Amino acid sequence: MKRLLFVVGLGFAGLHAGGFNAPMQAYMQELTLEAKSVDGAFSGFDAKRGESLFTTKHIGKKGTEVSCTTCHTANLKNNGQNSNTNKSILPLAPSANAQRLTDVKEVQKWLRRNFNDVFAREGTAQEKGDVLSYIITQ
Amino acid sequence: MKKVVLASVLIASFAWCSGVPAATDPLYQKECASCHFGYQPALLNKASWEKVMGSLSEHFGTDASLGKEDSQAILSYLVRNAGNGKITTGNDTTRITLSAYFKRKHREVPLKQILQKEVGSLSNCMACHTTADKGSYSERYIVIPNYGRWE
Repeated sequence: MKRLLFVVGLGFAGLHAGGFNAPMQAYMQELTLEAKSVDGAFSGFDAKRGESLFTTKHIGKKGTEVSCTTCHTANLKNNGQNSNTNKSILPLAPSANAQRLTDVKEVQKWLRRNFNDVFAREGTAQEKGDVLSYIITQ
Repeated sequence: MKKVVLASVLIASFAWCSGVPAATDPLYQKECASCHFGYQPALLNKASWEKVMGSLSEHFGTDASLGKEDSQAILSYLVRNAGNGKITTGNDTTRITLSAYFKRKHREVPLKQILQKEVGSLSNCMACHTTADKGSYSERYIVIPNYGRWE
């Protein structure tokens, strides 16, 4: 019985940490194939690289320095704030907001918009996968 | 009962004097009002909305692009309910704040009340018009942060 509980417990922990639902897993697989086709040496997404992309400053679309944390803050479990309109943004961390990273269309839309806003270009497949791998652990 | 009906009609028509129909479209609320106040369609005319929706990847300095289907659905909602009267006369730009009517209505607001951090700019309707989300911009519902009611 104890052993069963342990296994079930591990299962839940796995769900929480692994995180992606089936459609999102399929999207991550798509990104993996794309990343491999660009770089033969690609060996998987990396949450650490994703965190660095998320927190470092870049010259954004407006020509000024911004990072993802400008609006989302460095703690993704907290509310953020849109730096243009001051409107509140719900937490990006799936542990604090179960809606996050569940809808592929939504995820693709925000990755497209926010890479343009922060990096003044679209993200590569590897960058998108890295950032998603980081956010899912939050 | 008659009195209640009469009172409701009076209140409704009074609110209408300085109001516009509320922005009730769920897709518009989801896609546009997630980042900023959900400006009612009647605040811009058809030509303005076509410009706004035709340039979403360059939306006031940010990328607000949408998929074709959602973009077309929202444009059609906006055009169907676009303004055509005093509020939008002479304003074919993408900015509500550039209409002559809007400017006249806000010219007496001191700059320091607009620039304070609780407000920021004239595009932040809800900061002072407490019922703006219902489409009501009546003077009696104005409360300017740190300054109080508009007298």
